[in-house]
Amino acid sequence: MVNLTLADIIPFLLLAARWTLLLAAIAFVGGTVGAMLLLLWRYGAPRVGGLATTLFIQLFQGTPLLLQLFLVFFGLPMIGIEISPLAAAGIALTLYASAFLAEIWRGCVDAIPRGQWDASCSLGMNFLTQMRYVILPQSFKIAVPPTVGFLVQLLKSTALASIVGFNELTRTGQIVANATFEPFLVYGLVALIYFAMCYPLTVGSRALERRMRISR
Amino acid sequence: MGYAFDFSAISQNTGLLLHGAGLTVGLTAIAATLGMALSIGGAAARLWGGRWLRGLVGAYVELIRNTPFIVQLFFIFFGLPSIGVKLSAFEAAALAMTINLTAYGIEIVRAGIEAVPPGQREAGFALGIAPISAFVYIVLPQAIAVVYPALVSQIIITMLESAVVSQVAVTDLTHAADLIQSRTYRAFETYFAVTVIYLGMALLLRWLFILAGRRLFVGKR
Amino acid sequence: MTYFISRRASLGIAIAAAFLTSSFMPAQADVLDDVTAAGVIKVGIFEDFPPFASLNADLKIEGYDTEVADKLAAALGVKVELVGITGQNRIPFLTEGKVDLLLSIGYSDERAQVVDYTDAYAPYYIAVMGPKELDVTDAAGLSGKTIAVNRGTLEDTEVTKVAPADADIQRYSDYSGVISAFLSGQAQLMVVGNDVGATILAQNPAIEPVEKFLLLTSPSQMAVKKGEARLQKALNDALIAMKADGQLNALAVKWLKQPLVEGF
Repeated sequence: MVNLTLADIIPFLLLAARWTLLLAAIAFVGGTVGAMLLLLWRYGAPRVGGLATTLFIQLFQGTPLLLQLFLVFFGLPMIGIEISPLAAAGIALTLYASAFLAEIWRGCVDAIPRGQWDASCSLGMNFLTQMRYVILPQSFKIAVPPTVGFLVQLLKSTALASIVGFNELTRTGQIVANATFEPFLVYGLVALIYFAMCYPLTVGSRALERRMRISR
Repeated sequence: MGYAFDFSAISQNTGLLLHGAGLTVGLTAIAATLGMALSIGGAAARLWGGRWLRGLVGAYVELIRNTPFIVQLFFIFFGLPSIGVKLSAFEAAALAMTINLTAYGIEIVRAGIEAVPPGQREAGFALGIAPISAFVYIVLPQAIAVVYPALVSQIIITMLESAVVSQVAVTDLTHAADLIQSRTYRAFETYFAVTVIYLGMALLLRWLFILAGRRLFVGKR
Repeated sequence: MTYFISRRASLGIAIAAAFLTSSFMPAQADVLDDVTAAGVIKVGIFEDFPPFASLNADLKIEGYDTEVADKLAAALGVKVELVGITGQNRIPFLTEGKVDLLLSIGYSDERAQVVDYTDAYAPYYIAVMGPKELDVTDAAGLSGKTIAVNRGTLEDTEVTKVAPADADIQRYSDYSGVISAFLSGQAQLMVVGNDVGATILAQNPAIEPVEKFLLLTSPSQMAVKKGEARLQKALNDALIAMKADGQLNALAVKWLKQPLVEGF
């Protein structure tokens, strides 16, 4: 047995958690951009964009993320794009996040009373101006809590990148568990590290939601 | 060079895929049944239990909701045997899925119960109905009716997340895909076809639940 | 790109696809040239596969394969970049260019259609390993037992071929899964190289896995993308040199605990 002490294992796992955070950050930033584009399409061209974005969202919410990862991972190289496991996982998670964020934010935009659209339209604003100055600022306020909540889901989802061989926290945990033959301890630690990353977000999301309810 | 798609790997392995899909559905059914029962119990405990029970259920919910499913699965399958709890891959998968679904289910059912006006329960008491009966026959049906769509979504999420159980050698639908892929090297075609099967299963399941919901909750909303 | 156009029936689509995809592709470069130009060779290894590669006490991946990779890279005059692979993804990794070279791959006719092999660089005896007290001596003895294997490896194809129908073969996506399942008692037996089994034995005296019977002798080879003859030759030349000057033998003594047998 490779003798590793807790003092060896914990820093090693924490270092691996950096990759988990990086992956989540990439997916969140990418997902934000993706979801924004989807929403602009949806509300800018209600007929085509509405249908297309609904399909996109349904597709990603109706299939396992693991399979989405596999498809990006094995599919992109077939159209001549060769990428690293980090990039593949980043792209798959970005698409996944785009779909979920678009769905969350769509709800928030739809919550804006119809009169806001009509009023801003009667002021002669075009679609992009309406979005920029009237609709999005108001939606933003209600969108923050569920978005932070989704961030938890995204952080947890990065664990699936371990299956395509990306050395983030879960995969590192697997390798350490085998080297030390302490699966109970190692997976326990891995779970705790995820918890330490996710729980503050969960609490934050809840606090924001509560504050919003009071302020309204 | 172009890439010639070849789906013969799929058509030659329909038996394997069917078996896998059956297992995925079976696991989901077990998790949904046990998970719903536990969710109702858990929600009641969180609302009306003693301080310790409330705290315990709360801690369980937070712990499960803030850690990845795959880590929970590995902990159960690879970790628990070292303290003498050895479950088969199928049992471990069913347990992990149930634990996961329950954590979300408790919060959903709780929200449903809170949405039922207290007057409903009190009216039951006034008619001389015991608190337990009032909960089971008056509050619960209304609560479930309110949150039914959310519960259905959660069950479908559980089914989709169960793709991960292939990692502990459960022969589910994804495992069938992995196996076909490793035998034929047709990775993209295989995973594409299986993704479509999952999508079909998710849509079908949702449709069935909606149909069932219409019959179950007539006049309850 | 991975496969040539194979079906006349889909020729039209295939040609269209070929035009589309070729516009994304760099000019058909030679992998050896790419490696030399980049100054790095990407070598796919199992990271959980002692003694060939596994986590050591310094929390680094190390073993026979990592040292072979170092020496090969040195011979090519480039740096080495190790890429962790699984039994499931390694062939796609190679054919899709995520790695330039795979280590620890045994020969099979099926695989030879999608990759090209170098000469053998390590002995590998695929064995059924299990705890001492379990009485298994041949394939028939696998009946009713749970056996862990790495999906998509020769271990998998071999044991699938010989095991009786009521043997419960659990297929994991990497050696981590196989070894975890065996060590945690989730599988009674595992099919791995006997050196892998011996290393696990040394690390976990409590389990005492012993070799039950040998399934197949299948020396480890390296694999390169189909048609990469120049890289293949460069690697074979490096291998011949390493065998001639005793470097490879020294690695075998260090990691496999015995000198290379005749024929290497």
